[in-house]
Amino acid sequence: MLRPLVHFFLIGGLLFSAKAVYERNAVQGPAITVRVPVGASTAEVENKVREAILLNEARRYGWDRTDPIVYTHLIRNMRFIEPDSEDDDLTLFQRAIEMNMHAHDPVVRARLLYRAREALAFVPEERMPTRTELEEHLRTHSDRFEREQRVRFRHVFLSRSKRSETLAADAREMRDRLAELDDSAPSGLGDPLPNLRPEQSATPSELEDDYGAELAGLVQEGLIGAWRGPVSSVYGLHFIQVIDQEPAYVPPLDVIGAEVRADRLRELRKALAQERMAALRDAYRVTIERAP
Amino acid sequence: MPSSFFRAFVVLTLAFASYSCSEDSAPPAIDEFGRCADFNPLRQVFWGDTHVHTELSFDANMQGTRTTQDDAYAFARGEPIALQPYDEDGTPTRMAAIDRPLDFVMLSDHAEFLGTLKVCNDPGSPGYEEQQCVDYRAAQQFDAMPEFVRDVFVRINGLLNLPSEDAAYPALCGPGSAFCLDAGTDVWRGIVNAAQAAYDRSNSCTFTAFPGYEWSGNSDGRNLHRNVMFKDENVTDLPYGYFDAPYPEELWARLVGECIDADSGCDVLTIPHNSNLSDGVYFNDRMADGGLLTPEYVELRNAMEPVIEIYQHKGASECLPGAATADELCGFEILPFSNLATTNLERITPPDPKGFLRYAYGEGMRFESSLGTNPFQYGITAATDTHISAPGFVAENDFKGHGGAGQPNRFLPPPPGFPDVEYLSPGGLTAVWAEENARDAIFSALRRKETFGTSGPRMTVRMFGGWDYPSDLCDSAELVAQADAAGVPMGGTLDPQPASSAPVFVVSAMQDSTSAPLQRAQIVKGWLDGDDYQVRVFEIAGDPNNGASVNLDTCAREGEGFGDLCGVWQDPDFDPAQRAYYYARVLENPSCRWTTWQCSAAQYECNDWDYAACVARKDELPPSDFSCDCCDPATGLRPAFCAEVDCSDPGLLAEAEERCCHQVEPTIQERAWTSPIWYQPPS
Repeated sequence: MLRPLVHFFLIGGLLFSAKAVYERNAVQGPAITVRVPVGASTAEVENKVREAILLNEARRYGWDRTDPIVYTHLIRNMRFIEPDSEDDDLTLFQRAIEMNMHAHDPVVRARLLYRAREALAFVPEERMPTRTELEEHLRTHSDRFEREQRVRFRHVFLSRSKRSETLAADAREMRDRLAELDDSAPSGLGDPLPNLRPEQSATPSELEDDYGAELAGLVQEGLIGAWRGPVSSVYGLHFIQVIDQEPAYVPPLDVIGAEVRADRLRELRKALAQERMAALRDAYRVTIERAP
Repeated sequence: MPSSFFRAFVVLTLAFASYSCSEDSAPPAIDEFGRCADFNPLRQVFWGDTHVHTELSFDANMQGTRTTQDDAYAFARGEPIALQPYDEDGTPTRMAAIDRPLDFVMLSDHAEFLGTLKVCNDPGSPGYEEQQCVDYRAAQQFDAMPEFVRDVFVRINGLLNLPSEDAAYPALCGPGSAFCLDAGTDVWRGIVNAAQAAYDRSNSCTFTAFPGYEWSGNSDGRNLHRNVMFKDENVTDLPYGYFDAPYPEELWARLVGECIDADSGCDVLTIPHNSNLSDGVYFNDRMADGGLLTPEYVELRNAMEPVIEIYQHKGASECLPGAATADELCGFEILPFSNLATTNLERITPPDPKGFLRYAYGEGMRFESSLGTNPFQYGITAATDTHISAPGFVAENDFKGHGGAGQPNRFLPPPPGFPDVEYLSPGGLTAVWAEENARDAIFSALRRKETFGTSGPRMTVRMFGGWDYPSDLCDSAELVAQADAAGVPMGGTLDPQPASSAPVFVVSAMQDSTSAPLQRAQIVKGWLDGDDYQVRVFEIAGDPNNGASVNLDTCAREGEGFGDLCGVWQDPDFDPAQRAYYYARVLENPSCRWTTWQCSAAQYECNDWDYAACVARKDELPPSDFSCDCCDPATGLRPAFCAEVDCSDPGLLAEAEERCCHQVEPTIQERAWTSPIWYQPPS
């Protein structure tokens, strides 16, 4: 049911954006007078001006006469004030226009503003991001999409809860045992934790969340090969052997296309709306009247 | 008019062309199992929230939430979010941020009014001018009176209270509800797209988003809500709410027919929640048509609902103090309300023990005996149920109100004192044990119930059950590999093993590195003895009498606890002929509840405190005045005032004294609940 209306918006959107660009290049745009309360702030005045421009644009394109919602609304109004009328819809609509009802009705106003704002942010087909543009967006805003560096490391843990007074001595013994290991994994050494693995890949942020800053800092130093530690956490003492590091990177578009596209469209809609509004604002000659 | 039609035709063609073109510009990435850099076949823990509302939910929207699904995803990844109240210029007056990012999220906006909101906000919609929409928009005005807003909210949202046979979309939705169905389809497409855009498909696997919604039937105020979670972007055409499918059975049937059996790659599950607010009907022994449960029904419910929310903003649903068993820890975050309506009205009504999980687990075993399948074989999750687009915002010391059923804080100036009703809370989190942070792995973990819920802190718990675990398993650095190889993880079912005497369970837990240390680990056993079910709680690790406490003036924690705990426990009373379930409960040392945190930071004086005066004049006080809330005995901070109050018949007491009978605890013990491991005797 709404689908035709959505497409009707698009018509308006295309026309509106074309006209907005035209206005930007025009020598002189339309002149309007905007009435604001005496005490209105600068921001309030500017809002009123922008609304007035959008309404004027909507009316310039005749949306107040051709829009199907305005059409049905005005007919409904007319049937309310002329309940006994036997005129057909078109006649009633024309009479409403003659009575200038479309110029003052709040619903018509809201409808026109809504269409105008939709049109301002509308992304026409030729502006829809292409693959090349998305690649460019990804390149120029790579910071938004960068993935944190990762470190692959081995981990031996000694529990403070379990070892209590012997923790320090056990740690010294463990350090010696680890030093004797060659490149092999420390199978069976240390205490379990539910989320601890003898070998894992993690980012420094994840490690800081899980074990605190001290362990994360040690891993981030990235000295490969040597067993290091112990470092302390709320759980006990930890020994770490960094095996490999994967630097921060930006995934390719094929992998994060939906993420990049959504980001680009958000940006584009905002930019188009601002650009078109600015063009209209420049083109219009606005007189402000302050009224009590 | 012909030119309009011509233009419409041209642009319609252009619009479709641009749509397909834009889709081609960003090809969907392949989401293969095993793609993540940190893949662990023995599985790792991931933290998430599967119950989140944004501006798309009617109730959140009416409470002034203006933040979108994109905002909610950004919040979950660690970015700050704007909170109401907004000032006249639309500037938010509050901000919030999570201390650590979440791993996964499902946003669950109420399905019922997705289309309604769009219709009422879109002057292009044929329903835009209907009176309900006019009222809705009037209620959205900055200067709308709170009473008017509440009236509009009740008139529209109240449709969810109607009996199922009368369930219907609001009148504004037009003939056949077409306006809202059409608009709802568009909104649903946006929800799926937002999840697609938020899902990290790189091999870093930083964040997983699932499309979903909430089915929100609560006939006569009896909450039967469940969240609907899709595995990925293969979803049903419509989000089916109460008005489309007024009975849970109908919802499941539609999801099976249009998703699971549709041969489209679609998979879906439903997550029940707030059985505590159902007047005890959530685990009824009757189907919607009044008939007794059938084998087909219990099989369908078992298949569709692998997990349940044990705790969230609107209270815990584990067990009720005094019911069925002596378990002093059942008093955690119990709402003094029996259903959603009394919660919304803040009318004290005793909750029904039949609305709690202990009852469901017992009944489930009985149905399994008689019908062959356990309809209530639930794994455990927890969530926030936030209505301010703030997934995972669980900090007790930074609670800003979730707005689910409490104070929206929409209006300026905000009410003095607490940002939410004192009985509500920040809610909890779901943890899953999965191979990697990706949709397939997490969804599968939920299906097999390898999950646990916490009351907020990220304490990590692992539990396995088997027949031959050694008693020194906790000393093995390879505990997980050994336990996994010789038993089943949480959520699993132990088959009988005639040669063994009794099952053995191992529970390994570690505290949240930023929260309180652990105090103890327990196993809760429930079993079916004939037609009766029993429950007993066993201490298996830690020290319940470790003397830990809290300074209520400063909220500083005092006393020692445990960074990690591990225990191996064999059931001493095992009877191989009896059905049984076992779940672990792990507790932190005590800490301040959010109400106590706020009073600890506030200035107030209770000498002349008067409950009736506070009720009458609260809105006239400055927002910084916490005396009405902090002096209220319901906060549990006035033991001397309540010492002599006899609560045997609260109805006979003066209002202020009566408040002593419905106190929240000033301190809490944050906790984790694992999914049970079930034992099934030989048939």
